Amino acid sequence: MTREDVLKGLQERFRDDIIDLYDRSHKRVYMEIIPDALPRVAMYIFRDLGARFNIASGTDTRTHMEILYHFSLEEINLIISLRVKLDREKPAIASIAKLIIGANWIEREMYELLGIQFIGHPDLRRLLLADEWPRGVYPLRTDYEEWDKSAVRDRGV
Amino acid sequence: MSLKLRALLKSPWVFHLSTGSCNNCDIEVLDCLTPRYDIERFGMLLAPSIKHADVLLITGSCNRKSVIRLKRLYEQAPQPCLVVAIGECSMSRGMFIHSYNCPVPLDKIIPVNAYIPGCPPKPEAIIMGAVKLIQKVKGTL
Repeated sequence: MTREDVLKGLQERFRDDIIDLYDRSHKRVYMEIIPDALPRVAMYIFRDLGARFNIASGTDTRTHMEILYHFSLEEINLIISLRVKLDREKPAIASIAKLIIGANWIEREMYELLGIQFIGHPDLRRLLLADEWPRGVYPLRTDYEEWDKSAVRDRGV
Repeated sequence: MSLKLRALLKSPWVFHLSTGSCNNCDIEVLDCLTPRYDIERFGMLLAPSIKHADVLLITGSCNRKSVIRLKRLYEQAPQPCLVVAIGECSMSRGMFIHSYNCPVPLDKIIPVNAYIPGCPPKPEAIIMGAVKLIQKVKGTL
């Protein structure tokens, strides 16, 4: 298995799902896919290519809610990042936590911090936020506003 | 000065609590206990439980979850209990002042007797703070 084989195989197999393939460097590839195709592309990389699921990262950009799923293929020293762009008003995507156990907690974290719904997640609860945190307030969104009236935001001088 | 406080100053046992610090202040606190700085010459000893301690050393910016634990520890401490805030985070929350998870600084939650600024404070600064705390309670500062 070489780097070229992997990329060619991905492009041939998921010709309709891949929107953009950005070959950033010899060890980093970004692949933007349509959100519906995420489970099958992720499963192909994870199970058939034998990649390791590193982490997923969510970002609130101005136009979209964006998730990057990072996979690493250690024997050819390549990191493949699947980029998925979701609707900013109602972000929702199919969960891969049932297929990849390691994605369970990071999906819960993205759910509580960014408000992304993961459809089919086995246990979509909050992970880290405090219990008194109000519903529907997502701290890592760009339009987050202070809800706590008792918060002190000056240094007292 | 009460008898309890006078007895406390002879050998103040300290309890070290991190309310979400980056562990750099904690390393400096541990440095104070090494033979090089040797804070034990002021009678200070790290207590394993808050119920044995006279001084509460707090590092880190208090976040929403650790505040509950902090209050519980402060209630369990035998009174009189002196509180020392170590590092920028526990004083004014430092760079986390606008964080959604750190709403209130430490001295708005429990009374603080001494502040040791720095990010992290040097062991010398911590020893200086300890000495000043003892002097302040004695009334000789």
